[in-house]
Amino acid sequence: MFIQTWLLPFALLATATLMAFPLSQYLAWVMDGQYQPLPVFGWVEKKINSGPQNWKQYSGSLLIFNSVLFIFGYLVLSLQPWLPLNPDAKTLLAPSAIFNTVASFMTNTDLQHYAGDQHFSNFSQIFFGITNLFISAAIGLSALTAIIRALRSDASMGNFFIDIWRVVVYLFVPVAFIFALIFLQQGSPMTYKSSYQVTTLEQGAMGTTDKGEAKPQTIVVGPVAAFEAMKMLGTNGGGFYGMNSAHPFENPTALSNFFNTLAMMIFPFALVLMYGRMLNQMRHSLVIFMVMLTLMACTVIWTVYFDTEKPNPALTSHLARLYQIPNPTAASGKMSLEIPAISGLPVDQHLGNLEGKEMRFGTSAGATFAALTTDVTCGAVNAEADSLNPIAALSPMVGMWLNCFFGGKGVGMINMLLFIIIGIFLAGMMVGRTPEYLGKKIGGREIKLAIIALLVHPFMILIPTGIFAATVWGMNAISNPAAHGFSQMLYQFSSASANNGSAFDGLGVTFGFYNNPNPAPEAVAWDIATGLVIMFSRFLPLIAPIAMAAFLGSKKSSPFGMGTLRVDTFTFAVLLLGTIIVIGALLFLPVAALGPIAEHLGPIPFGG
Amino acid sequence: MWQSLSKSLSLLTFLVVIVCGIYPLSLWIIGQTIFPFQANGSLYQDSDGKLVGSKLIAQPFTKDEYFQPRPSAASYDATASASSALAASNYALRDRIARTLGPIVKDQNGQLVAPDVEKWFQRDKFQDKQNIVAEWATLHTSLAQAWVNADPAHGAYVDAWMKRHPRVVTQFVKDNPRTPQPKAADLAVVFFQNFSKENPGRFPTAVMHTDAKGKTETRIEAMGAGSDVQSIFFDLWRQEHPGVVLQEVPGDFVTTSASGLDPHITLQNAEFQLDRVATKWAADLKRHPDEIKNEVEQMLQQNASAPLAGLAGEKFINVLEVNMELRKKYGLPPA
Repeated sequence: MFIQTWLLPFALLATATLMAFPLSQYLAWVMDGQYQPLPVFGWVEKKINSGPQNWKQYSGSLLIFNSVLFIFGYLVLSLQPWLPLNPDAKTLLAPSAIFNTVASFMTNTDLQHYAGDQHFSNFSQIFFGITNLFISAAIGLSALTAIIRALRSDASMGNFFIDIWRVVVYLFVPVAFIFALIFLQQGSPMTYKSSYQVTTLEQGAMGTTDKGEAKPQTIVVGPVAAFEAMKMLGTNGGGFYGMNSAHPFENPTALSNFFNTLAMMIFPFALVLMYGRMLNQMRHSLVIFMVMLTLMACTVIWTVYFDTEKPNPALTSHLARLYQIPNPTAASGKMSLEIPAISGLPVDQHLGNLEGKEMRFGTSAGATFAALTTDVTCGAVNAEADSLNPIAALSPMVGMWLNCFFGGKGVGMINMLLFIIIGIFLAGMMVGRTPEYLGKKIGGREIKLAIIALLVHPFMILIPTGIFAATVWGMNAISNPAAHGFSQMLYQFSSASANNGSAFDGLGVTFGFYNNPNPAPEAVAWDIATGLVIMFSRFLPLIAPIAMAAFLGSKKSSPFGMGTLRVDTFTFAVLLLGTIIVIGALLFLPVAALGPIAEHLGPIPFGG
Repeated sequence: MWQSLSKSLSLLTFLVVIVCGIYPLSLWIIGQTIFPFQANGSLYQDSDGKLVGSKLIAQPFTKDEYFQPRPSAASYDATASASSALAASNYALRDRIARTLGPIVKDQNGQLVAPDVEKWFQRDKFQDKQNIVAEWATLHTSLAQAWVNADPAHGAYVDAWMKRHPRVVTQFVKDNPRTPQPKAADLAVVFFQNFSKENPGRFPTAVMHTDAKGKTETRIEAMGAGSDVQSIFFDLWRQEHPGVVLQEVPGDFVTTSASGLDPHITLQNAEFQLDRVATKWAADLKRHPDEIKNEVEQMLQQNASAPLAGLAGEKFINVLEVNMELRKKYGLPPA
């Protein structure tokens, strides 16, 4: 039992770490342009190259390219009924849902206010889905490369278009191809057909039609293997099917689940080491790597311990409890509330909380995946996050709030860079020395940019959550009572702002097709609000660090001296860890207490 | 600006050709030639060549002759995968599981507790208070409302009751000025309180009647026994009988999967269902139950596998595959 629970998370962390070393070497080799392209690729590179760029040109190209991508995505989705590969005549999504989906996929968020199996034709899955899966993943990685070039004071930040091309074609396509073959062999469909009708083995078990005939089961298929590989590798997380990596076609076996989980980890892991290799600061990047790995391991252990090692508290017995609630009208100023003892239901829970878990992946696979998916801002799920044990769900939220436990491709390392700059600044203030990073003095302008980039995130989570919790927008959408309902809203905005994409699925955010007679009542408000949050939280924290790195890089290097804070030591690791934990706790402890912690400590079941 | 725009367009065009054209197409060719079974959805055919289902997608089984997959929040609709999304703190989760358990749970002597639940229910007392159905509706407002909305027949029954009890409705409107024209669901709790007083120890239950001509009709009647009472009131019974030792049911037997389409159950769950399946086949085929049990047990063992060869979890079986085996060996179960 011990091995069956803990081997899987350990094997995943170890494999991803081992793979990071060779992969980072390849990454640095490609991004530094040391390869000799095939003649045809060389021709394309010449066509798309617009020459060396400074930070303004680089960010400008990034924004313009994203605008083009946005328009392309919008066109594909809004023309769905008239485009090919749509034999089931899937019609148009609601306009707000199209906006949300396009924003979400373009930014590598993949928060889904629709369900692929119900609302997308195979044409949309390929030309909207797969396109964005590849390209949005390349944007963060390119931004990180530009930042590295700036930090090492290169003559230019490189060329944005060439960077995207390199990442997609030399990196993602070959790796995705290998993973897609694995998923295909394990059982993911790979066809341009849309669905099959099957008579069930026990005819009529699906019910009968009005004419009294046995209903068939409709099996939705499509180019799943191709989609799935890049969905995970690009830490996109937007599923082909509504239930994402839990769906047996996206993730058919325990082995496919291992590779599914591994796929989302390898690039975020390798990028940290690429950072060190390209800057020639390998020891520094190893220190960062260890800090990230430690934090990630903590989130995984937390979720597995509270979700797999503990039963679902809805079914267990609870002692009677007495709560003292402040009440100004009572004589003592307090009101006491007694919750009677509850006896357990006769359910064998030795495999942990099984509500919303699949059996084929393995005992701790759901909990492990839940923690990892937010650590690396993937957002795919192979278990229902809404049904995780209350306190276990805290760790996925922490992963999104801090967003640097490896984080997304490029973006995670950029977030970590912000924490590094602020950590060094704080340390510098404490000992009264000018803070320096990589020999460059950190000035007021850099700190301002770092703080702006860092504060966008809590703003975009806390303010909308507060607004929605106080209005019908939120209260009509939640599907679970009290603290968990609050968690549902908090999770949705955390996921949007962290560009994560996982969700507490009970939240009513799906409008569906434009002519759906019974949409979720507040779907439009959610579509627009999370869509805007997604865009703000994507581009500000991407461009501010590019500017910051450019300013830092343009400074003169000061020589390494006795008073220089070393960034490749254990002390620095502790400093960095402390900075992350203190800043994170200051920003998010109050909402954590209102959501998952309150649910855990409060009576279960709660009302109803 | 214009240069960036034109470069963006050409970059996007080249990438679309590669990632939407070449990449999926080459996978499609490999899939259709080397892995055609997987690439087309792992579909199984019966002896006539008709597609019966996908190896990877759960389908429902209602007959006792078959093993049953896990309950599905998607009603086994493979076009709309879904999880229950019920939080542990949501009483709806505990209630759903308690209802599954009520009719099947056995005490330590192997006796069903359902008859005990019915007897206790008919005493019409919960925690020393009279009118158990009224107590239930007051404690669990949302369940009372859910009952009204669960079936059009339930709604119609409450509507008819509202017509017969105009004074109760008027009183409700007076107490709740915000709902001047209450619907059936608004009055759910009041309905059950009133029903409980008029029918002590009984619950409104759908009962099927067949008349002389063989026509069937479903009517709602006040019943003190039956599967509704066994399932709905099992949790309340449990609260008053915490000391009774009950045999535990496998966790995956009562919990829904994340996709709603999980085709597997644990071997433990299959063993739990084995008695039911074997007894039923034995009765159908007029053979000795132990003999059938041995044969089916062998089928289970043959089908069972474990995640990552047992390193990551316990053994499970594929429900459709085992049921196809049963069908092949024992034929079609009688209608």
